[in-house]
Amino acid sequence: MIASISVIIAISALYVTFPESISAQQEDNVFVTHTGGIIKTTGEIIDPVYGTLLDPEYTESTVEFDAMEYLREFNYGVVSTLPDGTTLREFTIIAEDDKIMEVSPGVFFNVWTYNGTVPGPTIRATEGDLLRINFINNGSKSHTMHFHGIHPAEMDGVFEMVGPGGRFTYEFEAGPVGIHPYHCHVMPLEEHIVRGLYGVYIVDPKESRPVADEMVMVLNGLDTDFDGENNFYAANTIPFYYQNNPIQINTNELIRIYVLNMVEFDPINNLHLHGNLYNYYPTGTSLVPSFYTDMITLSQTERGIIEFEYTYPGKYLFHAHKVEFSEKGWVGIFQVNDNKQDQKESVVYGS
Amino acid sequence: MEVSGTPSKGKLIASGIIPFAFLVLLIVYIFGPGSDVLDLGIPLPEITMEKVDFVDSEILVTVRNTGPIPVQVVMADINDRIQPAAIEPDRFLERYETALVRIPFAWNEAEPYIIGLTIEDGTRFEKEIEAAAPALEPSLELVGFFALIGTYVGIIPVMIGLLWLPFIKRISKNKYHFFLALTAGLLLFLGIDSIEEALEVSEENLADSFNGALLVATVVLMSFLGLHYTGEKLVKRAESSRLTKPVAIALMISIGIGLHNFGEGLAIGAAVGLGSIAFSTFLIVGFALHNTTEGIAIAAPMSRGKGLVGKALIGKLVALGLIAGSPAIFGAWVGGFVYSPFTSVIFLAIGAGAIFQVIITLLRWIREEGDKNLSSAAVVSGFAVGMLVMYLTSILV
Repeated sequence: MIASISVIIAISALYVTFPESISAQQEDNVFVTHTGGIIKTTGEIIDPVYGTLLDPEYTESTVEFDAMEYLREFNYGVVSTLPDGTTLREFTIIAEDDKIMEVSPGVFFNVWTYNGTVPGPTIRATEGDLLRINFINNGSKSHTMHFHGIHPAEMDGVFEMVGPGGRFTYEFEAGPVGIHPYHCHVMPLEEHIVRGLYGVYIVDPKESRPVADEMVMVLNGLDTDFDGENNFYAANTIPFYYQNNPIQINTNELIRIYVLNMVEFDPINNLHLHGNLYNYYPTGTSLVPSFYTDMITLSQTERGIIEFEYTYPGKYLFHAHKVEFSEKGWVGIFQVNDNKQDQKESVVYGS
Repeated sequence: MEVSGTPSKGKLIASGIIPFAFLVLLIVYIFGPGSDVLDLGIPLPEITMEKVDFVDSEILVTVRNTGPIPVQVVMADINDRIQPAAIEPDRFLERYETALVRIPFAWNEAEPYIIGLTIEDGTRFEKEIEAAAPALEPSLELVGFFALIGTYVGIIPVMIGLLWLPFIKRISKNKYHFFLALTAGLLLFLGIDSIEEALEVSEENLADSFNGALLVATVVLMSFLGLHYTGEKLVKRAESSRLTKPVAIALMISIGIGLHNFGEGLAIGAAVGLGSIAFSTFLIVGFALHNTTEGIAIAAPMSRGKGLVGKALIGKLVALGLIAGSPAIFGAWVGGFVYSPFTSVIFLAIGAGAIFQVIITLLRWIREEGDKNLSSAAVVSGFAVGMLVMYLTSILV
C-alpha cells in the first residue's frame, strides 16, 4: 500500500513538475503580428486584434448581436397618428440581466441588456412626436429607462423603480433635436450602466437633415473582471470589430455618425479620424456645426454628430487617440470605395 | 501458538486495511453519486505565469492552471495592451496543465513589463517583470562561463577556507571548541538563509495551491530526517575506528554545504539570466567571501582526524572541498538554462534540511568533546561569531 501510494505521489510529482508533454504533431497555424511579422505556431492563435468571434453554434453565447447590422439600424417604432395629428411611436423594450455574450473571441461575459443586445436598440423619432415606451423588466433586479432630454419628472426613470417582472410605460414628447442616451438609472448606477443597459435615442429635426450614409457608434467599455477598470473598449461593444470588418463607404458621399460616449471608469474618451476632418455638432442640437476638426473629446454620456466626406478612396482608421483605448479594441477602419454614382437615392428620415 | 498466530495476523492485517477501505469508499462516493450534494460554493479559476522568457522579438510565457477548474486562455496583453498571440499546444488547460503562450513583441532590454493573460470568463491575470533580458541560449561558451563562476563561488573559496586546517590543528582544545561552535553558527545562518530564499521563490513564482510554506517545511523535514538516519549510520560505522569519525562528520558537513551551494548556484545562474552582469559580479564577490567560511566549517572537524597526514589528508580535503563546492557549478547551469521555481524551492529546502541535520551532529560532537558542556564561553561566543560573520558577509551578496 505504501509502495503504491509512493508511486502515485512520485508520478503526480513528475506530472506537476514536468507536465509539458511533447505537443502533438499538428499543421502549423500562421498569424500576423501588430508590426507585420508572420508567426507560425503548432498551437492555437488567440487573437482578438485580427481574430473573429467563435462559431456561435458552439458557444454558450445567448446574445445575438451583429455590430455591422447595429451600425445602421434605426428603430422608428410602431407608428400611428393621434386625432390631433401628432405622430405616436410605440416601442417595447425588455430588460434582462442573465444573457451571456461573447464580447471578444473566447471571452464570455454576463451582460445586462435592453432587447437582448448591448447597446440596446437605437430609438429614433422626429421632434414633437409622442413616444410611448412599453418597458418590461424580465431581469432578476430592478431596472428602469432613463432618457436624457426634456420630459416630465415622473417619466425620468429614476424614482419609479421597476422590479423583476414589472412594467412601466414611459410617455413623452420627443425633444430636443439631437442625439441622446438612454440608460438604466437603478443603483448601483455604475454597475447597471457598465453591464450594458444603455442605448441611443435620436430626435430628428422636423426639417430633415441632408441625405447621408448614417451610422450609430456607441463608444463603450467592458470591465470583465470587475476591478473597476475596463478590460476592453470598443465602438459598439465588440473590440476591434470594425478593424476586422471595415465599414464600407463611398467617396464624395456625406457620412453622418451619431456618436455617444458611454465609457465608465475613465473620465474621457475621444474620436480621431484619419485622412480627413469632420464637422462636429455637439449633442446634435444645432444644425450648424461648432467645430471642424479630426479630434473630439467626450466625457461620460457626452455625444454629438460628426459629418464628413472622403475624397480619396482607400483604408482609413478611426480610433480613440487615447491610445490605450484603441489598443484595447476601440479602433476601426473605413474602407472608402470609389463612388460609382454621384447621386444617392433620396432617403427621408423619420419615415 | 502457531495456530492462534495465523488468524490473529490476518485480523491484524484486516484491521489495518478496513479503515483504508472505508476511506476509499468515501472518496469514491464523494466523487461519484455524492458529488451533487456537496456541490456548494463557486470555484474560482486561477492561472499562474511561472516563467517568462524574452527571446528574439517574442515573449514566451509558461502558464499553469493552478485553480480547481479547467480554464481556457483566450487573450494575451503586454502592459495592459492587447496583443495577438499563439498558445501551444492549445488554449484548454486542465488542472495543473501548462501551456506556452507566445506573444510576438518588440521588447526593449532592461525595461519593465507586465504580462497579462485573460481567460474565458474575462478574468485577467498578470505578472510583472522587473527588467526584460534575453533568455540564455545554452552554448558551450556559456556552459564554460557558468562552470567558471561556480568554481569562483563554490570550489575556490571552500578550498581557501580549508587552508585554515593547520592553524586549527595547532590551537588549544578550548579554542578548537570555539571553531566548532563557529561552524555551527555559520551553518545555522545558511540554513535560515536557504529557507528564506525557498519561501521567497515560492511566494513570487508558485501558485497558492502549492502551499509554498508547507512545501518548504515538509521538504526541509524530510531532508533532515533522511540525512539524520543515514548520517547516524555513517558515524556509527566510523566509530569502530576512532580516526575516521571526524572525516565522517566533515563529509556530512560537505554534503550539507554542497546542497546549499547548489541553491546559491541557482540564484547566480538566474541572476545572470536576468542579464545584470554588474550585479552578478558583485554577487560573485559576495558569495566568494561568504563561502570561504564554509571551508572553515569542514576544516574544523577534520583537524582532529588523528593519523591523517600527507597525501591522504590532502586527498580527502580536496574531495570534501569538491563535494561542498562543485554543486555551485551545477546550480548555475540549472539556474541559467532550465530555471524552474518549483525545483528551486525543492533544492533550497533539501539544502536547509541537510544543514540543520549537520548542526545537530556538530553540537552533539562538541558536547561529547567538550565535557558535556554546551554553554562554555568558547562554544557560546563561537556560535554567536559564526552567525555574525555570516550576516556581515551576507550584506555583500
